[in-house]
Amino acid sequence: MLMERQFDHGLLPHTHADERARQDFVQSLKLYLAQKVVPGIETVYEARVRPAFEKAHGRPPQDNYEVDAVMNGNYYYRLWASLYRTAQELMWCSAAEPILRQREDMARAAVVANPVGSLELDPALEVPRYLSAVDIHCMPGSYHGEAIAGDVTQGALYDRGVHIYGMGGLGPKLGKAGELVGQFIHEKFPQMRDRPLRILDIGCTVGHSTLAYAEAFPNSEIHAIDVAAPVLRYAHARAEAMGVPVHFKQMNAEEMDYPDNHFDLVVSHIVLHETSSKAIHRIMKECRRVLKPDGVAAHIDLCFFEDLSPFNGFMMMFDGPNNNEPFWGTLRKMKARNLLKDAGFAEDAVFEQFVSRAYQGQTVFSEGASDAGRGTWKIIGGMK
Amino acid sequence: MTDLPSAKGGRPLFLETPAQDDLLAIAVALAQEVAVMRERADTVERLLVQKGVLGPNDIENYKPDRSVDLAREQWRQDYLGRIFRAVKERAEAEAAGDTPREH
Repeated sequence: MLMERQFDHGLLPHTHADERARQDFVQSLKLYLAQKVVPGIETVYEARVRPAFEKAHGRPPQDNYEVDAVMNGNYYYRLWASLYRTAQELMWCSAAEPILRQREDMARAAVVANPVGSLELDPALEVPRYLSAVDIHCMPGSYHGEAIAGDVTQGALYDRGVHIYGMGGLGPKLGKAGELVGQFIHEKFPQMRDRPLRILDIGCTVGHSTLAYAEAFPNSEIHAIDVAAPVLRYAHARAEAMGVPVHFKQMNAEEMDYPDNHFDLVVSHIVLHETSSKAIHRIMKECRRVLKPDGVAAHIDLCFFEDLSPFNGFMMMFDGPNNNEPFWGTLRKMKARNLLKDAGFAEDAVFEQFVSRAYQGQTVFSEGASDAGRGTWKIIGGMK
Repeated sequence: MTDLPSAKGGRPLFLETPAQDDLLAIAVALAQEVAVMRERADTVERLLVQKGVLGPNDIENYKPDRSVDLAREQWRQDYLGRIFRAVKERAEAEAAGDTPREH
């Protein structure tokens, strides 16, 4: 099944036929690995590895760490891992080629003459070490790398990379995560549905999810922050090209410039796992601080280990050591509920919701993490 | 072409040796390039059909004559010689009593 082409908002790089074919190949390779190679890992585990563990211990592995201890050295698993890592590297290389070729032109094209939204950069803002120590998810240059004035390369790279990575499950505008949270807020907090809100998206990168809120909550005032200038420049130009007014600011979510009691809704999308043990508590607290009373914070990420079977938890561990996601495993070991309570939310005001996301875009709210864990996301949050 | 970018953070060892990981990565990259060439040829065929230069089954029904067969066979032998250069050199080295030395 071939994914939809990405929505052309006018900023995408001109891509030669061979470059396009390279990118299509990577997407096909990723889909092939996910559908034809990954299932074999569980087959091997169930047929050989788990029975051997049970024979030795008189019980099955009780958590993902015990599965890891016996599966990490398995040849078939490592063969998949080597291929998956290679696909990830080819994905970024294939996405980068046309962008690097047009770097200067793309920077010029991202300058907006008469914006309906705004862009405020803060050149003095320091990129936190948890985002600069390694290139997150093996994206060369991470979010903040800059080589020329007004550089948007990392934004464009992220835009194309996420499109390939999503294998069609994120929609043509790549807004799926934002759509899911918006849909969830509509159902859980109907009182927020029909009035204009002031909304903040933290760690917005290029605004894929941010723009979904303009559709879900019409006439709302939408703000979005990130620590990295190149993704924000691109986000601003992209939002303007799509005619959506958003106020982008370069800011660290650990310490925001916004006043107390300012927003109706604060959201983040697949961001929590790219922070740190210290930062995550600060971010959760800051998000609550800037909320109005009765305002809602909602964060969507992949599942935590507490949500997954020992085997699926083991599969979920991969990205930490193997895809440059230093905080990945530490976050998933945490209890979501504790994170929210530590941030100051009352016990009866916090929520957790699983959402399933099929590769071809169907969505179902679900009771638990029903598949290998990768297709299920989790929304956690609370009302102030 | 500008250099392909690489990610800061090092690469884990997945298989038994770095060489095995590298060879796998090279094989996958070659598979990617084969797919790129296949797609380019496919584009040419479709354009030729669309512009009426070829009929839809002309390529499948093409019967090379003897001279084309010979030229193609020569091309394949040269090609295989390039691909298996290392094998040929290994045979020559073994025959000469040269064994691979430790680096």
